[in-house]
Amino acid sequence: MTKYLLTRVRQSLITLFLVSVVVFAGIRALPGDPALAMAGEERSPAALAAIRRSYGLDDNIVVQYGRYIGHALTGDLGNSSRTGLPVADAIGAALPITLELSALALLLATVLGIGAGVIAAVRRGKPAEWFANAVALLGLSVPTFWLGMVLVLGFAIALPVFAASGFVPFGTDPLDNLRRMVLPSIVLGSGLAAVVMRQTRAAMLDSLSADYVRTARAKGLSQRAVVGGHALRNSLVTVVTVLGLQLGHLISGAVVTEQIFVLPGFGKLTIDAVFTRDYATLQGVVLCTSAAYILINLLVDVLYSVIDPRIRLGGAR
Amino acid sequence: MTDSRPVRDGGTLTVALNADPDKLDPSLAQTLVGRTVFAGMCEKLYDINQQGAVVPQLAAAQPETSTDGRTVTVRVRRGLKFSDGTGLDADSVVTSLLRHRDLPGSARATELAPVTSVRATGRYTVQLKLSRPYTPLTGVLADRAGMVMSPTALRKYGKNFTNHPSCVGPFRFVERVGGDRIVLEKDPGYYDAAHVHLNKVIYKPIPDGGVRLANLRSGDVQVGDQMAPVDVRSALTEPGLQLFNSPSLGYQGIGLNVGNTKGLGQKPGKPGTPIARDVRVREAFDLSIDRELLNKVVFQGMYEPACGPISPESTIAPGVQPSHCPRRDVAKAKALLKAAGVRTPLRIEFKVSTTPESSRIGQVVQAMAKEAGFDVVLRPMEYATLLSETDDGHYDAFTSGWSGRLDPDGNISNFLQTRGAMNAYGYGDPQTDRLIERGRSEADPAERTRIYRELSKRVTAAHALIYLYRQRNYVVATKSVSGVAVYGDGLVRVKSAGYTR
Repeated sequence: MTKYLLTRVRQSLITLFLVSVVVFAGIRALPGDPALAMAGEERSPAALAAIRRSYGLDDNIVVQYGRYIGHALTGDLGNSSRTGLPVADAIGAALPITLELSALALLLATVLGIGAGVIAAVRRGKPAEWFANAVALLGLSVPTFWLGMVLVLGFAIALPVFAASGFVPFGTDPLDNLRRMVLPSIVLGSGLAAVVMRQTRAAMLDSLSADYVRTARAKGLSQRAVVGGHALRNSLVTVVTVLGLQLGHLISGAVVTEQIFVLPGFGKLTIDAVFTRDYATLQGVVLCTSAAYILINLLVDVLYSVIDPRIRLGGAR
Repeated sequence: MTDSRPVRDGGTLTVALNADPDKLDPSLAQTLVGRTVFAGMCEKLYDINQQGAVVPQLAAAQPETSTDGRTVTVRVRRGLKFSDGTGLDADSVVTSLLRHRDLPGSARATELAPVTSVRATGRYTVQLKLSRPYTPLTGVLADRAGMVMSPTALRKYGKNFTNHPSCVGPFRFVERVGGDRIVLEKDPGYYDAAHVHLNKVIYKPIPDGGVRLANLRSGDVQVGDQMAPVDVRSALTEPGLQLFNSPSLGYQGIGLNVGNTKGLGQKPGKPGTPIARDVRVREAFDLSIDRELLNKVVFQGMYEPACGPISPESTIAPGVQPSHCPRRDVAKAKALLKAAGVRTPLRIEFKVSTTPESSRIGQVVQAMAKEAGFDVVLRPMEYATLLSETDDGHYDAFTSGWSGRLDPDGNISNFLQTRGAMNAYGYGDPQTDRLIERGRSEADPAERTRIYRELSKRVTAAHALIYLYRQRNYVVATKSVSGVAVYGDGLVRVKSAGYTR
């Protein structure tokens, strides 16, 4: 296990390095001059030259990369060319918001998705299954931005139970935090809940028709023990894989949700950085997102072995 | 426009902006939205009033200009304190003006270029020496170049002043969370603190107009800046909301490549296209467009047709009224194309930015120009790319706009002077250059009006930039708030704002 972990960590670091090179080169290959984006409407050749000089944009790309990676290794991701604020601070402020949003969406998706999936499998062919399937299809089909606006209209304007926008840290005011996070979590989690429901249902149907379930029933175990203890536990491997993969999508999918609910998270930071050609911020967010993906993949692999001890990592016996 | 219902003291006002401001450093700031935040915390030597006239703000009186126009004396008000508690005097003004002019990358450098020296001639008197008479200076000092920064804060924070801005203003800077909020609080040391009612102002960037409106309706924000016509229409049906609007000093139009072959700031060349070669082709393109209809279709009739660089609302030299703009004349346009000897349909590539409004302008222009014999091909581009391509001269036509300046010179010189800093059109005309110089150095308002009228006529006839419409600044606020002021510069002023009693 330790050897496997070390190998995976080494691979992850190499991947991260390659990502940094690709991102750095890729961003610079984008059309449009960052100095122009920074200069706004009052651009003159002298001002543009001064901006290029002050951000080192007139240096060779290799020199620029060397300087960037050197600073990044010490935790300095540079300053935003637009606001002048340190990128690390911006990421530090945005990341917890997106993580909280993703975690709540994941929680919602897991509870609803697994619950509905189990019910749909156990009540196969009954109205409960049709209902669960229909809701799942709806969850997959409804566009995020539309659902977001409808929820705002319904629950922030017509019936002002939740807030339409903004973020308050949980530590500052837990109730206000939840008041602001519930709607975005529903928007972000609805699609995932549908995916999880379908995966759970399919995996549960497989498990419920398997021999070990028949044996368990023959031994006289209760329905709850058979479904919860045997079938569901075995089905969870597939579901965890899906959840792990979807978590990455959640972070990137948060972009639209954060725009609708004006949450100053990672997605919003990324969009703003793209439109203002804010190289430093863009590089920082892409690097952090890549690191998150790599870490999640690693964690999912480790989780496999915890859920199902028959899966041994690294070929060890 | 203002709302003068009585207000109570206290409370926090949240203002939704349409973008996240850039640096909060008056020397480096470039965005219109940033000016709104500055309006809350950084006063200027001069300001404009409700009628659009320049009035003293940190200055004690109007500037005194010597008879040769080369020496300007500014008297500064006494007893003013920066938000960091230090006092404002002539030396602070000198430090700020020199920084605006000389700081590398300063966005104020061009507008202060004629200033050769600045010195304090008394504790509260500043003298500016100019290389030539420069009448637009007062208008310039009524914008960011006239903002005075605390020299103590400048020394302490240096380049990082942007994260600790300290000026004289009703509110002082508390914190900024990038992409989320800028928080200001009431400055008890402000000279007019007795008339400041709010405890706190939060500026929140909410780029989507629909989301801004939803937040206004839910009460999460109280003021929505720069609302689009479609959202304004929708807000008008809401009983809890009120609308402020003011005409803008800027313009929006179509830039045509008449001589940009080597890039921005270079000597005009000859692109060789029919539209660059023959002014009759450009006039035909102009005549094919119905400005009224464009305004109705794209902006629900809530903006104003325009046909010149200067707003008719300008107090210095009023421009052409929308009712006097040339009417669409397809027959004349066809005749002009025929006289120019071009083969129709004439293909023009029109670069538009990727915003829905820009695309709709493109489509409407495309449909109208087609009837006159133009084949307009739309090329939607992301804004930074569009600027880059047009500055380099790689275009036929593009959507070109400007937020506008108080002094008409700010709407003309950089764009239409030969090798002007933002002359992406490659327009070069010695007579225009002479008129620009005369307009800048003339002190007599009546004569200036005459010069700018002639200048407008000349640049409009050249059709290098086809002026189409002027936006109006629409600000929507909840009715629970009063005292918000919106003037011709489009900035939301919150100094006197508060919650109604």
